[in-house]
Amino acid sequence: MIEPQAVTAEEFRRLCEFLYRRTGLVFTETKRYYVERRVIDRIEATGARSFADYFVLLRGDVRGEIEQFINAFTVNETYFYREDHQLRCLTSDLLPERTRLNGRGRTIRIWSVPCATGEEPYSIAIWLLENWPEVDGYDVEIVGSDIDTRALQAAAAGVFGQRALMRLPDDLVAKYFVPLDQDRWTILDDLRSSIRFTPVNLVDSGDTRPHGQFDVIFCRNVLIYFDDASRRVAAENLYETLAPGGFICLGHTESMSRISPLFEARRFGDAIVYQRPREDGHA
Amino acid sequence: MPLIRKDPPDAISPESPGPAIADLASASADRRWAAARTAASEPGGIAALGRALAVEANPRVREAILTALARRGSAEAVDAVLPHLRSDDAGLRTAVLDTLRAMPLALAPYLAGLLRDRDADVRLLACDLARDPAIAGAADLLCDLLARDPSANVCAAAVEVLAEIGEAAALPALAHCATRFPVDPFLAFAVEMATQRILSQPLGRP
Repeated sequence: MIEPQAVTAEEFRRLCEFLYRRTGLVFTETKRYYVERRVIDRIEATGARSFADYFVLLRGDVRGEIEQFINAFTVNETYFYREDHQLRCLTSDLLPERTRLNGRGRTIRIWSVPCATGEEPYSIAIWLLENWPEVDGYDVEIVGSDIDTRALQAAAAGVFGQRALMRLPDDLVAKYFVPLDQDRWTILDDLRSSIRFTPVNLVDSGDTRPHGQFDVIFCRNVLIYFDDASRRVAAENLYETLAPGGFICLGHTESMSRISPLFEARRFGDAIVYQRPREDGHA
Repeated sequence: MPLIRKDPPDAISPESPGPAIADLASASADRRWAAARTAASEPGGIAALGRALAVEANPRVREAILTALARRGSAEAVDAVLPHLRSDDAGLRTAVLDTLRAMPLALAPYLAGLLRDRDADVRLLACDLARDPAIAGAADLLCDLLARDPSANVCAAAVEVLAEIGEAAALPALAHCATRFPVDPFLAFAVEMATQRILSQPLGRP
């Protein structure tokens, strides 16, 4: 059993530096316990005899350890229909503007990043099916992405517990889910197979670019975990993956205006979203 | 069901196809943007980004240059950015300040020199940079400035920052500063406010 004090101050610093360079996530001494707990779990899981041994495994990415290590640091607590004012905004304002400009025949692309265990992209799909009268007139592609590959596996499996479904009305649960047992439900196969889940590191343009450009991006509650420099890099990657005139929705405590001047803030009812300026100079 | 799954999507074109440093001078803003995002990893790229900053007029590309330098967070990146703190372009000066704030550890060794710069505007901006808690010894540097800086405006900027980061050890320097500019009552007022704020902290700053 490795004890917390097995990680020295210098080792802690090197570890945080490694994590930062890889992901943009910032951990300082105030989060030492949180970091140590996860590192010790990984040391035990890999059979390393010390932090030094483990760090060699990590840096060499032996048996895919970098992915496992990053997975250990992500937070995946969410639920269906979270921040539903943005979903209302999606169907009442954002999609009508996108379709008015682009016309019929073009696929609407929506990106949920980070998507954690899938609650958000599935929420978007259900919301569109239930609340967007135009939904039958367009092809809609929804992509869910996250840096945590374990979360992506769970998202693709589409099995959810009571807590994840707490905000979803009973009739929607009955319509889109099949009970698995007393406390778990599986999302309908049609819905599950319509969403593509992909791994992505938001501070790595090599990861974001292959996703193409989206009409709307939901990127909630992840930029708060980055430092200023990484936030700016992530903002530029998001800018590239937004179609001109496309929209990005952040968490309610986040403001793109404080991160990057690349976007224009737009207010729709009680939702503030950020827009990549159109190439003709209009918002 | 109107929801579709496409696999794979149309990827965005890769970044600058050739050497990014050369593309920093391209006529195409898109190519300069792409080059700005990769040039830092090429030999000499950081200095090239600094030079490009001097002539880049497109705000989007300028932002990409500054982000690339902030992400580097190295002494070389600070060297590339610092000359533009003297720019006549207020927008660039502000953007440079934001970039320097994003790399406080790399900036820290430069702070003492900036607070002694011959240009009062640079000293004034440097006072604001001293606000970052990651810069150890910043309060001492500001106290030193209060004892010698000839500009009341620069001293006022230092007083404002000390009100935020200073501890009891800064009080003598503040009191002395108030006596250095007897014709400027604002400074004495600012010192009094800063002193009250510091004294209102129960046991100094956290």
